Amino acid sequence: MATRLQFENSCDVGVFSKLTNAYCLVAIGGSENFYSTFESELADVIPVVKTSIAGTRIIGRLCAGNKNGLLVPHNTTDQELQHLRNSLPDQVVVRRIEEKLSALGNCIACNDHVALTHTDLDKETEEIIADVLGVEVFRQTIAGNILVGSYCAFSNRGGLVHPHTSIEDLDELSTLLQVPLVAGTINRGSEVIAAGMTVNDWTAFCGSDTTATELSVIESVFKLREAQPSAIVDEMRKSLIDTCV
Amino acid sequence: MPQEPARHHRLLPVRPLTFSPFARSVARVATAYLVKHHMHDAMQQSAGDEFKEKLKNVDRQSESSEDEEFDGVVQADFAFFDPKPDDFHGVKTLLQSYLNYKQWDLSGFVDLILGQITVGTVVKLEDDEDNGVFSIITALNLGRYKDHKCITELKEFLLNICHEKDKIGNLRSLLGVEAQKVGLLVSQCVVNLPPELLPPLYDALFDELSWATEDEPTEELRNSFRFQFYVVVSKFYKHKNANQKRSSSTDKDEAFVYIKPEDEILHKLSMWSFLFPLQTQQVATHELKNYQLTGIVMAVKAEDISSFRQQLHALISES
Repeated sequence: MATRLQFENSCDVGVFSKLTNAYCLVAIGGSENFYSTFESELADVIPVVKTSIAGTRIIGRLCAGNKNGLLVPHNTTDQELQHLRNSLPDQVVVRRIEEKLSALGNCIACNDHVALTHTDLDKETEEIIADVLGVEVFRQTIAGNILVGSYCAFSNRGGLVHPHTSIEDLDELSTLLQVPLVAGTINRGSEVIAAGMTVNDWTAFCGSDTTATELSVIESVFKLREAQPSAIVDEMRKSLIDTCV
Repeated sequence: MPQEPARHHRLLPVRPLTFSPFARSVARVATAYLVKHHMHDAMQQSAGDEFKEKLKNVDRQSESSEDEEFDGVVQADFAFFDPKPDDFHGVKTLLQSYLNYKQWDLSGFVDLILGQITVGTVVKLEDDEDNGVFSIITALNLGRYKDHKCITELKEFLLNICHEKDKIGNLRSLLGVEAQKVGLLVSQCVVNLPPELLPPLYDALFDELSWATEDEPTEELRNSFRFQFYVVVSKFYKHKNANQKRSSSTDKDEAFVYIKPEDEILHKLSMWSFLFPLQTQQVATHELKNYQLTGIVMAVKAEDISSFRQQLHALISES
């Protein structure tokens, strides 16, 4: 199911949150509505963690992660790092990386198996991504844009990319990612897909300006209509915190 | 910026470190230097419903360059357009802070503005692929749109923030019983928009209003543009000690510093106004360290508008 919401009058929910199959990060501040929308959808299934990164609220654009790990930029503070390590499931490895392109969320797009990265990323960073996130890494562009993390959003079941992506590029990316892809928009015609939404295998959160057409495209390409969280979560039961003593 | 000898014959465009083409064009305009400017008034009179476009060419050239780092000609062609649905994102960005960042149906409000094609103007660059919106001006009839969620939320917001007992009665009647005669004057522009554009922009709005009272297809629509009052929601800087009696030592500080020049005139002409506190964080520059950003709601009589237009022309042309 896809949900529409806003962060303080901004429809860029992908900027202020990061959703994966094992956890969800939400920015501090704004009204409690934002946090509680995530809580009501996800609370029984995966932990929803309020945090900041490098003292900012734009956490969705600064970090990249999947069920195996979370990568945060070099300017993340020690307290934030410790908070993340404490709050996330043990199986999720949190790693702070020294990379000059510090907006990792804009440079890296990934699901649990494959990652697309900015073409100018360090070789060392690429190896850390492969190691910590457990993915195969491909350097790619999307419709000529090097910020792959901004212009596409994909899960293990499907993906949405920049509207001006050509058919050949779509086919190539689809083969690399092994998921169906569709070129579309979010938030009433915005091309910056990942800023406007955040998605995992069973649910998606989109900005409230998203039209009904865009929402139905999202629900169909990410296969959200039949998805039930219990099926996916059962595979990961061991890694999730049941009780906190 | 490194010191360079003045080059009189070369154009040195400023390339600021911004990431969007829209921000770059705004920065380009902001660095324009002014000596003489002449405005072509290419306004065509036409029936209110037809598309009309007014061109303002503002040629800007540098002054005598004794101590300037570069001189050059920065040409900015601003054009006035009727509101279109494509302008949604630009107008929404301009109006983010309209109600003090409160969460309300801003998208619905922008849709209302863009839906009213006969009255309202959007300022954009001529031939700009990015479709960046520099300014929006319009007047919305509070009675005509009273059933829209955004207007009810806006009325609720205004009634809640009014803490002055003598004004709240007036406000309530303007928003309630007399709403059919009240126009909400919405005007927002980017911070560095050249002030020369303001008089023609306001003239355009009030001219369109008078044409609409004659040209709209139905009697009801024609009447909906016959405003008797205008309500303006804005913000400005108020001196932190403005309420205290000013001694001679603080006389040099103004009580109010207006961000938008037209606000000063409207405030003087207003029937009544009240202030409300803003929760937004403000960057305190050195000159403004004694000032507090405050919101203001003003009500202006429609008959005072011609005086407003004259005073605005006078204010801008002398500065």
